[in-house]
Amino acid sequence: MSTKSNKITGFWGNFGRTFAYIIMILFAFMAIAPVIWLIINSFKSTIEFQTDMVGMPNNWVVSNYAGAWKIGHFSILFVNSIIYTLFSVGIATILSLMTGFAFAKIKSKATKPIYSLLILGILLTTQTLMVPIFIQVSQLDMGLGQLFETLRICRASDFHLFYNSRFGVILVYIGSILPIGIYLSYEYIKGIPTEMVEASRIDGATYNLIFFKIILPMSKPIMITLFLLKIPQIWNEFALINIMVSKLNLQSLPLGIYKFSGTFATDYGKQFSALVIGLFPMLLFYVIFRKQITESIGEGAVKG
Amino acid sequence: MLNKEKEEKKAYRRFVIPSLVIFIFVMAFPIILSFILSLSNFSGGKMFGGSRWKITGLQNYSYLFSDSYFWNALLNNIYLVLISVFGQLPLGMILAYLIYRKTVKGGEFWQGILYVPSVISVIVIGIMWNLIFSPYGPVSQIINNINTTAFTKEVMAVLNGHLDFNGALVVNSSLIKDLVNINAQAASLLGDPVSVLTTFLKTSATGDLEETTRLLTNLLCPKWSASFLNEKGVAMLPILFVTLWCWTGMYLILFLANMQKIDPQTLDSAQIDGAKESTILRHIILPELSGVILNSAILCIAGSLSTFDLIYAMTGGGPARITQVLSIYMYEKAFTGTPNYPLSNAISIMMVVFSLVLIGITKAVQKRLEGDR
Repeated sequence: MSTKSNKITGFWGNFGRTFAYIIMILFAFMAIAPVIWLIINSFKSTIEFQTDMVGMPNNWVVSNYAGAWKIGHFSILFVNSIIYTLFSVGIATILSLMTGFAFAKIKSKATKPIYSLLILGILLTTQTLMVPIFIQVSQLDMGLGQLFETLRICRASDFHLFYNSRFGVILVYIGSILPIGIYLSYEYIKGIPTEMVEASRIDGATYNLIFFKIILPMSKPIMITLFLLKIPQIWNEFALINIMVSKLNLQSLPLGIYKFSGTFATDYGKQFSALVIGLFPMLLFYVIFRKQITESIGEGAVKG
Repeated sequence: MLNKEKEEKKAYRRFVIPSLVIFIFVMAFPIILSFILSLSNFSGGKMFGGSRWKITGLQNYSYLFSDSYFWNALLNNIYLVLISVFGQLPLGMILAYLIYRKTVKGGEFWQGILYVPSVISVIVIGIMWNLIFSPYGPVSQIINNINTTAFTKEVMAVLNGHLDFNGALVVNSSLIKDLVNINAQAASLLGDPVSVLTTFLKTSATGDLEETTRLLTNLLCPKWSASFLNEKGVAMLPILFVTLWCWTGMYLILFLANMQKIDPQTLDSAQIDGAKESTILRHIILPELSGVILNSAILCIAGSLSTFDLIYAMTGGGPARITQVLSIYMYEKAFTGTPNYPLSNAISIMMVVFSLVLIGITKAVQKRLEGDR
């Protein structure tokens, strides 16, 4: 029965099919052409770009990349971006699973109010709060710095715990991931049979043991979903790091590229190279994990 | 037993409190702080022990409501919401549908390409499109090339119509008239086009017909420039276009993934029963996706209300604040020039309020939808 019906036939006949292909090709071209244009032009000298912005380069100026890399301090930016992304996504995932586990498997009256509070955070994006967050972290640093100065531990102006510190950036990023992370973890862990937890409890296992030996291994799919959805997002994040950090050696890749493009606006060769360097890591990430990312979006991004 | 209960409570705290503390630090407390500051006259410096500040009431809000920049920014946000909900979602839906129903083959391939814009840093995207749309950018260049080609042909045709038997150009009033007619507007910029063109043709254009054509084309071809994008009313168009460009692929993937969850037998039996394609779409696919569509719309709206990076990188809100959205206006008030923290925080609070209203509306819609089933 299913052999015949498996084949879903097109519905508009040949004309409709051609039209559909035209639409697809048009959209695919639109999606990819600017990126290819960017890559091609990153190999032109600035003078060549100004005379011809559309064609292929006459001489391929590979040195644009070396130049941009050096001037833009890209090795620092890369290290920072890797640190920010791995730590914040990693820690946020563990915290989300912990909280989701407690919500799903330990009965408490506190769950409902806390959970509804956390869920509000999914739609209240942290960008909305960048000004108060900035004031909060800078005031805390000022206050604590003052305290430490009177205690003669360090000078107030040297004290950076939240503002201009990796810790502060990672903390804010974790906070921005937690609402959706906890939501997805909670929904997922609810599906793990409660009997498994209860049986282990009767055997005398502590909740810590249950979390690490049962829940964590079983939550692999949701961990992967969170990694795949959040790594690109945190890697590309701009609004928050822009207000959390002013020192060069703490900037992330997007922030560095933004500053670079402002400073070298007319040095097109190098600017294009910098942009390509900026888009390359996540493009590579996508090429490698395309299948899994596609699945994660279907699974995790939005759910009834 | 009591011991066990105690351990349970302890474990619960251990698992929940770290997340809760970070959440409060990053989201809950900043909202409270923002609200307090929006009612104050705090002007920077140390909040405690520094310059004095106090609660002054709602004046920042009343200033905001009479501020035309605020309304302009809000309007731009609304444009973004509209293009997201009525652009990204339907386009994503159409593309997903074409792949799902196998109207086009190679679904994986198209998906793969169309999602590419969604993985690129919005900062890179903003700078890239800014270059593309710039008055000296490739769009201008391409359009000018097309224009030049077209005008070269026209000029060539006119000149060819006025050759004598030896192939030399006959400069007379009818030639001049024809040339002026190619682009009267450009010709009028020459001052007195008839005399200018006559002198030009008589002195500098002697033998080489191709060279003459090139010079005349230069003279008459309109110079197109994307600088019109700096004007009010159209300045938002590139931003709206890029918004569409960025995220349509993501919704395609989202919708397609959820279409593929529909039981294929439902479709099969509908087709065997001779159901039309439109019926299948209306009565099977759209109802199955209603939850996802609603959720996407919410995320779309929430995202468009708080959007910052793209516009910050593309235009920075300029020229003359035309393309500002609320978040950019808020940023400007806090971080450029003399900071006006109270006003900036009032904008922040307004954005939070809009989001909360939105969440409320959604919850109501969701309840009604669930009630219908």
